[in-house]
Amino acid sequence: MSFFSEERASELKDLFFESATELLQALNEEGLELEKHPGDPEVVRQVRRTVHTLKGDSAACGYSELSALAHELEDALTPELAKQQGTKVAEVVLNAADIFQHMLNAYRTNSPAPTGDRVLDAIHALISKPGPSLAEPVKSAMKAPPLGFEWTEYEKMVMADAASRGLKVIQLSLTIDPNCVVRAVALQMVKNAFADLGTLLVVVPDEGAAMDKVDHISAALASSFDEEYIAKKCKIPAVISDVKVERYAPPAAEPVSANGTGEIDHTQNEDLLGLDNQLDEAPAAETEVGSASNLISAPESTLRVDAEKIDAVLNLVGELIIGKSMLTQTINEFDKKFTKDPLRAKFADALAYQARVLNDLQKSVMKVRMVPVEQLFRRFPRVVRDVSKACGKEVILEVSGQNTDLDKSILDVLAEPMAHLVRNAIGHGIESPADRIAAGKPKIGTIKLNAFHQGNNVVIEVSDDGRGIDRQKVVTKAIERGIVTQEDAARMTEGEALNLIFHPGLSTAEEITSVSGRGVGMDIVKSVLERLKGTVVIDTKVGVGSTFYLKVPLTLAIIKALMFRVAERLYAVPLSSVLEITRAMETEIHRVDQHEVIKLRDQVLTLVRLNKLVKSKSNQKKIFIVVIAIGDRKFGLVVDKLVGEEELVIKALDDHLVATELVSGASILGDGTVVLILNLNSVVTRLGKSSADIDEQLTAGASA
Amino acid sequence: MAKDLHLVGFRIGRETFGVAISMVHEIVRVPDITAVPDAPEYIEGVINLRGKIVSIVDLRKRFGEKEITRNKKNRILVVEVDAKMVGLIVDAASEVLKMPHEDVEAPPNVFEEGDLNYVTGVGKLKDRLIILIELNKILQKGELKRLADVAATQLGAAV
Repeated sequence: MSFFSEERASELKDLFFESATELLQALNEEGLELEKHPGDPEVVRQVRRTVHTLKGDSAACGYSELSALAHELEDALTPELAKQQGTKVAEVVLNAADIFQHMLNAYRTNSPAPTGDRVLDAIHALISKPGPSLAEPVKSAMKAPPLGFEWTEYEKMVMADAASRGLKVIQLSLTIDPNCVVRAVALQMVKNAFADLGTLLVVVPDEGAAMDKVDHISAALASSFDEEYIAKKCKIPAVISDVKVERYAPPAAEPVSANGTGEIDHTQNEDLLGLDNQLDEAPAAETEVGSASNLISAPESTLRVDAEKIDAVLNLVGELIIGKSMLTQTINEFDKKFTKDPLRAKFADALAYQARVLNDLQKSVMKVRMVPVEQLFRRFPRVVRDVSKACGKEVILEVSGQNTDLDKSILDVLAEPMAHLVRNAIGHGIESPADRIAAGKPKIGTIKLNAFHQGNNVVIEVSDDGRGIDRQKVVTKAIERGIVTQEDAARMTEGEALNLIFHPGLSTAEEITSVSGRGVGMDIVKSVLERLKGTVVIDTKVGVGSTFYLKVPLTLAIIKALMFRVAERLYAVPLSSVLEITRAMETEIHRVDQHEVIKLRDQVLTLVRLNKLVKSKSNQKKIFIVVIAIGDRKFGLVVDKLVGEEELVIKALDDHLVATELVSGASILGDGTVVLILNLNSVVTRLGKSSADIDEQLTAGASA
Repeated sequence: MAKDLHLVGFRIGRETFGVAISMVHEIVRVPDITAVPDAPEYIEGVINLRGKIVSIVDLRKRFGEKEITRNKKNRILVVEVDAKMVGLIVDAASEVLKMPHEDVEAPPNVFEEGDLNYVTGVGKLKDRLIILIELNKILQKGELKRLADVAATQLGAAV
């Protein structure tokens, strides 16, 4: 079960830094908001959500100091506390955000993280429960500097001497791969590498040491190569797992702080916050050393571009296409006027060429926005590994459908709710190995991630084969917490009861662990999905497992669509939901209990007359029926005229003036025509009702 | 002396209205409009304005004009309200009016009642009266929501 290449790990860290920066931004804003409205429970919950996510993400990357502090903060933050302490809470939140920022900077440069003691103290003072016991593990975690340099006086002297002679002195700290099978020769291999790089000044341990007990090699080199190159050279596969390179600065020029790696970096802002004592150890993000993880990663061939810029390009391409159709039209007119002009052929050639290039251009731009969900899924192996370890469970991750394309912006937002679902699945869903065996299941639990297109949506499934969600337990808990009353609970349908788990503060976990149990995660899932105009559906069976279906719309995606006209108006439906197209005579339509139906190959098909949308009546004798599937149900859409299929770029129709659930988006065709993409679910729900009702509704709508 | 008001004048029925020129993005001929189901009656639909989808409000219907005739003089005023582009169909739009501030009078009190609070003043230009309107007030969310609520109540009553 080895998921992780180094490259992936560093990619994961990059992702973490990116999302953490956003989270911190959000935390800062929320802290300010909290200051403005002290004790507002909604804001407090928001802060908790942010801190919770930050905690989870940092824990996934193994940044224990950050996650420990976040854990403390999240624990302390309750609406009750916020009410008692007022703006003090906001103060602590903001201070914590600053500390988090400095920790992040430290992690980025691979230097020791600053401690969060001051904030911890503040948190404890706030909840007026001195908690040294809680703070202890945090401190001890910090006291183990991962890769510090500890030179003897002699070694320092040698280095200072070399530096004073104008040589560039590089300090190296190499971690020997724990799985290395050739430990005895590791030192020699490293030395060989050094020999190519420059003059070896010092190396610890020296020859003769029992190499099988050594995990680290520290060395100093006088070398003219740059740090990046050295790091790359020293990273001998299967021997050295981690390399830290730092330029040695002579003590006279720059005092080395207590643990020997920090660089003192005073900034005025920190003074203002009164936290400078701790923060001094956090080097500025951009030291010349740079981050070791960056140094050893493959050269970046990707470019980060603002999504808006791509949208702008896409729009321009659209306009070009309209320009093309104007040109085509003009040339057609020219053709008619000068039927014998030799220029006609030239025009036609030029036009065909331009059309081809335009087509390619449009496709390329569209592809830019779409990324495979693999980018999202690949964060999870680590999460699964760490969380399952923390919970003492054995879990494997199965991933499928990772090639499903999804709009980048949606993808990014989905990472957070998915992380919570996965953590919950392991924390609550999967049973301990002993319980699993007792239940007759395989000892190792399975978490499955899957993605697929479904009509206008992408569905992402997170499923586990754990114990499932006990509806009764959820309801009992909800009643306990006062979220619902006994009577309400009794009336709830199964689905409604299950949806209670999305309620903030509700958790079925018996105890609060660092993985889950506060009832924050599911709240995030719900609110993010709502923001994306998506849905989350739970399918669970006690003892068998649970599946969460996250259904998100493709706000900007290419779909293959079938276009047709109804009462001269152009509409489109996703081709993926079209099963077949058939023709029928009006006389073949039967009425069954207010529904119009038709017999299609011995099956009864309910018809939906789309012309009701536009309040017109069709008088065609022979009709087209587009057979569509919604879930496992089939319907026949009655349309006037088929136009054809086309790849459409969906644009959201989110203007409040025209927003309607019947239409999931619009698209602009090559000739500039706007086509509406129908939201089949709503259309069928609305028009599938008995026709009398609809007529009434439509007249009511018209008179409004 | 304050600068003159610059207005885009447009006609609906027999009256001339004016909106601040800064609000108006552009004026286009009426293209084919794609109707959107479910939309209120005065929403004509959407058009493609060089790659952007812009909602179209028939201002004539919004103003309760009874006789709506389509002719070649009809124009769409593309305006920006709340950072969103909206197109307004008017009978005709041709002139840019300059008017000194002194020539604008506050709207008569009756306008402040009811739905007419979008009239910000009445300007006198030679022998014509120009009704100055505030588009934000006509198109703002609250107002539209109110209209939608009315529709919903009616819908509810019907069901």
